[in-house]
Amino acid sequence: MLKARHIHFCIRKRPIVDHADLHLEAGEILAVLGPNGAGKSTLLKILSGEMPCKQGEVEYNGRSLSKYSPNSLAKVRSVMPQHSQLTFPFKAGEVVVLGMAKQVATPPQELLEEVMKETQCWEFRDRQYAQLSGGEKQRVQLARVLLQIWEIKPYPRYLLLDEPTSSMDIAQQHHVLAIVSRLKRRNIGVLAILHDLNLAAAYADRVALFKDGNILYQGEMDEVMTSSKLGHAFGHPVKVTRETDSDQLVITAKALINKKQHEFKTA
Amino acid sequence: MQTVTLKKPVYQTQFLVLSGLSLLLVLITAISLSQGAFAIPLETVFQILLHQLGIGEGDYSSQHFNVLWQLRLPRILLAMIVGGALGISGAALQGLFKNPLVEPGIIGVSSGAALMAVIYIVFGSAFTGLTALFGAFTLPLLAFVGGLLCVVLVYQLASGKGQTDISLLILAGVAINALAVALIGLVIFYADDAAIRNYTFWSLGDVGGANWNKVGIASILILIPAAIVVSQFRGLNALSLGEAEAFHMGIDVQKVKFSILTFSALMVGAGVSMTGVIGFVGLIVPHLIRLVFGANHRLVLPASFLLGALLLAVGDLLARTIVSPAEMPIGILTAIIGCPFFIWLIHNIKNSN
Repeated sequence: MLKARHIHFCIRKRPIVDHADLHLEAGEILAVLGPNGAGKSTLLKILSGEMPCKQGEVEYNGRSLSKYSPNSLAKVRSVMPQHSQLTFPFKAGEVVVLGMAKQVATPPQELLEEVMKETQCWEFRDRQYAQLSGGEKQRVQLARVLLQIWEIKPYPRYLLLDEPTSSMDIAQQHHVLAIVSRLKRRNIGVLAILHDLNLAAAYADRVALFKDGNILYQGEMDEVMTSSKLGHAFGHPVKVTRETDSDQLVITAKALINKKQHEFKTA
Repeated sequence: MQTVTLKKPVYQTQFLVLSGLSLLLVLITAISLSQGAFAIPLETVFQILLHQLGIGEGDYSSQHFNVLWQLRLPRILLAMIVGGALGISGAALQGLFKNPLVEPGIIGVSSGAALMAVIYIVFGSAFTGLTALFGAFTLPLLAFVGGLLCVVLVYQLASGKGQTDISLLILAGVAINALAVALIGLVIFYADDAAIRNYTFWSLGDVGGANWNKVGIASILILIPAAIVVSQFRGLNALSLGEAEAFHMGIDVQKVKFSILTFSALMVGAGVSMTGVIGFVGLIVPHLIRLVFGANHRLVLPASFLLGALLLAVGDLLARTIVSPAEMPIGILTAIIGCPFFIWLIHNIKNSN
């Protein structure tokens, strides 16, 4: 289990993450939702070990984060940040291979092919990374972080994603979340910061709702995804309904104006 | 079976590129040994070399032997080792700073090393304790300290939160360079005549002052750090995505940074202390390698060493022959070739944005 207790982080005495408690079981998807600037990315950086937290503790599989070396930490968790920039002319395939750079010199061909086909980037493995579109780059990065933890291991692992679908069209978004869902069977727990509430509703098992550095609500989908709780977190009227045939939640935000009233009319 | 088929091309390219470059190095060595103000026929060159290895009979004049063995071979070897040092440290620093414009000369490593070298050359008598301790290694080690101080200072000025701001980096390099040049001037101002003569000999740079002793010291202070830097290729590959990403992948980022900065400064310091500041090799070489063979540091690092060695060996050959019997300082040649290349690079970057 990935466990965070009372983690606190502030910049110039302003709390970015304020005594947050969070846990992630292997084999589940936890969606972290909340308005921009709520501290979601900072939370992810603390969980990944990239930023030390000033108070509180993070544990992976019962062992404190501070007791892990970078190399042993890389074996239990993989991270996909929001933006990764490359200065040098690497090919897409070479970027994916970096995911295993620490473990082996060249990963087995089957493994690489499997992961890159799974993320639909195998066909452009020989193209320059810099020339790919935003969505293609994200798929390559996803393949890289998946490769790091793809091989089945006897211990639970975790995948931390910071808006993995931000540059993708709707079909790719669902495709990526479907891949991520299949990781559950590999005993991998996934924490994903998501922007799209409907995407979260369709794939996540649990939800943590963030606002101003605090976790307002954390729990099962049905408990947290309600009109009042979402409305409170985002400060915007939101309606949650349930589709009768698929039992899936549908979230709609209320429009602030009536389009019809503002149409240009000739006199 | 499939795993073997993918691995093969990667290793094959690497093997082919590196052995191709090595072959060219041997070729240029042979040509360079025979050419010069005093020409030695190629067959005599091979006779002398083979005889020194204990093969065949030595059918050559002692004049041929002295020119080849005491003058030419050490200077060619020194040119190659220093060229390799500049090439590989350029590649490593570019990888570390994630920028193709970085070069030991531009970010102040070379001038920091030069400053310490000049201080030692001019005020050598003040360092008798150190000289007694380190002998002939004192000058290169002091140059290393100067280079390391500058590179750490520039790095601290330009970096924060895992990112390096390139305009800050270049600005910091300009400032450090200007300060170092001013301080070198100040040191020269206080130097006596004998010290100035020593300084002039050194600052004209070039590899003319080579001897076996220098080749030995350069081998130790450059080849070992070069091997360590090559072994860091995984860390540099991961770092090209960013420090955070490298950490996520399990790289000990601080360790990689420390080893790249230290060993690059050591190589550049040793090189500068023996040949003076030779610019642009560290800029051109890694760029050419990346342009032709891609960005994987597994190949970029060793290939940059070999191409740097090749470039400086050719430069030395030209420096000795084009104005023969006089010699042109090699730094002038590399700048004449390097500056237009640098301008072309800037032009390219502008167009690609």
